[in-house]
Amino acid sequence: MINDKIAVIGDRDTVIGFRMAGVKESTIPSNPDETREALVDYFRDPDMGLIIITEPLAKTVEKTILELSVSPVPVIVLIPDRSGSTGAYEKVLKELVRRAVGIEIDI
Amino acid sequence: MSKVLPGTKATRMELLRLKNRTKLAERGHDLLKEKRDSLIMEFFNTIAEMKEIRQQVESALAEAFSSLTQAKMIMGPARVIEFAYSSQVETRLETTTRSMMGVRVPVMSLQQDVPELPYSLPDSSVKLDIMTSKFVEALRAIVRLAEVESTVRRLALEIERTKRRVSALEAVVIPRLEATVRFIKLALEEREREDFYRIKLVKSRISERQDAE
Repeated sequence: MINDKIAVIGDRDTVIGFRMAGVKESTIPSNPDETREALVDYFRDPDMGLIIITEPLAKTVEKTILELSVSPVPVIVLIPDRSGSTGAYEKVLKELVRRAVGIEIDI
Repeated sequence: MSKVLPGTKATRMELLRLKNRTKLAERGHDLLKEKRDSLIMEFFNTIAEMKEIRQQVESALAEAFSSLTQAKMIMGPARVIEFAYSSQVETRLETTTRSMMGVRVPVMSLQQDVPELPYSLPDSSVKLDIMTSKFVEALRAIVRLAEVESTVRRLALEIERTKRRVSALEAVVIPRLEATVRFIKLALEEREREDFYRIKLVKSRISERQDAE
């Protein structure tokens, strides 16, 4: 298994930062369509292991992310951008818990 | 009342076979229930861990962004971008899997190739170095988060699947087997009573004939 690539989709600062850290694939989308396109492109890459996307961008393509996160690889991770966390991931988590355990639990 | 399995013959052989099957189904049901419970426990443990790592990621990123701002202030945004896109550092992901109660979960780690001179030292500020190391740190935390998140996801899937199997056994398979066992028992008993009556009848006819002779 060679899922060794990392990709970043985010605003300019996030992308610059991770570029310095050695991430080679990156996109700075300017609208939701571009975000979706980049996401699907990275997702289709058989070498991709991890896709990092910032929460504000993730919010615009929520449906696509939910669809894609059914498959185990690559992993899609939401991270807060420089304005801080928006709590978008809590929603995803809650849905997971609800489906697994059958009841909604605040964690 | 659940349905009797179609195509059952009311024989003793079939009854024995079905009894064994019921026993097996019940044992499977107990095992699966145990599996489900321990999976759920593991699930909550992992979720707690995930929350912790999430916080680590957030604080690491906040630090990284503030050092990015500092680097930009000293070197100018355009130069930082230039350096970022010409960075020679190469980071790869190493993914293996391990098994956690029959669920394959990923184990990820970060591999970094840092050249001796990643960028022109006289042209860059020390802030750039600090920023780079901060982002690498954040990336490490993110990789850890990805690992735990996909573990949680796979556990959730496995729990769903196990739950479905448990309830299928509980609501369909076991009642159906039990109903079939009951059906065969009744049929056998009925046949026994018929036999008994038939013997009685034959006996009384024989004795009638003997009396007549």
